[in-house]
Amino acid sequence: MSDTRSIWHNDYLGLVSRLAVGLIFIYASLDKIGDPAQFARIIYNYHLLPGQFINLASLIMPWVELICGVALILGPGKDGAILVLNALVAVFIVAIAINLVRGVDLECGCFTVSSKAKSNALNLLIRDVGLLALGLYAMFNKATRFFLFRYPA
Amino acid sequence: MTSRILQASILILLAVATSLTVNSLSPAGIPLIGNWPSVSDSDSVAVPPSAEEGDPPFISLDEAAALYQKREVIFIDARNPEDYIYGHIRGAINIPYDFLPVDRLEEFWRETVQVAPKENDIVTYCSGLECESSLHLGREMASQGYTKIHIFYGGWREWERAGLPVTKGNQPE
Repeated sequence: MSDTRSIWHNDYLGLVSRLAVGLIFIYASLDKIGDPAQFARIIYNYHLLPGQFINLASLIMPWVELICGVALILGPGKDGAILVLNALVAVFIVAIAINLVRGVDLECGCFTVSSKAKSNALNLLIRDVGLLALGLYAMFNKATRFFLFRYPA
Repeated sequence: MTSRILQASILILLAVATSLTVNSLSPAGIPLIGNWPSVSDSDSVAVPPSAEEGDPPFISLDEAAALYQKREVIFIDARNPEDYIYGHIRGAINIPYDFLPVDRLEEFWRETVQVAPKENDIVTYCSGLECESSLHLGREMASQGYTKIHIFYGGWREWERAGLPVTKGNQPE
């Protein structure tokens, strides 16, 4: 019988999951930081936010991704960072699910703002559920090795 | 859990402060509150029947609205002056394609570069679906060395119907 507790204390899995989620979000943030006008257009096309909040969301969200991604990898604030990133993914899942129900194929705005290629909403949904699962694992992993900086938890 | 939420709040505050600072300094910066179309099917691109391979890209209403947020974008109304005076996209300058000074074109473009530099994003438009001067002006400007021309073929009619910023008179603002 396997020891179920050990999975939540595995240092290596903790490191890998944090690195993966952190790097995904850092990578995702860069293109959007570079062209907020196009990212704003993509957010607008989700048809969920009132017009006056679209630009603010397009400016702030990528920086939340970048800063939390870095914090998650480096260690200080990693517990807060994974909470924020998981909450973001949960919001993405709701946003995509709503548009899936509406029958709209979206521009994702996940990793790039430069193409007008529409993505299949169901594929995006499945991908984000996977990312949330990984993020939840990183959140509940109790490992404390491999932090560049230690910080009172 | 308390420290987790405290950390999360600090990280978010840091992101808000950084994003607003970077946005105020960046040439790609956008206004904090933008103008977005109120119609829902704004991301379909209208393309004129006479469009050819190699024409500048045609953009939809939502792309025009996105470009409109940028600081260094120039909207050019290609219609005749009386249409422009009756109403135009706020901030747009008027270059009526039908009245281009054919006898002194070189000089005309030299003067135009002063108000519309060649490296800027340029959006040309005219009335919407039944006019082609936005396309012709876009082609002409591309041949003059403008590299970032966008043709908003949906034009004045789509823009006005979506409730985006407009103004009257012979001045851009």
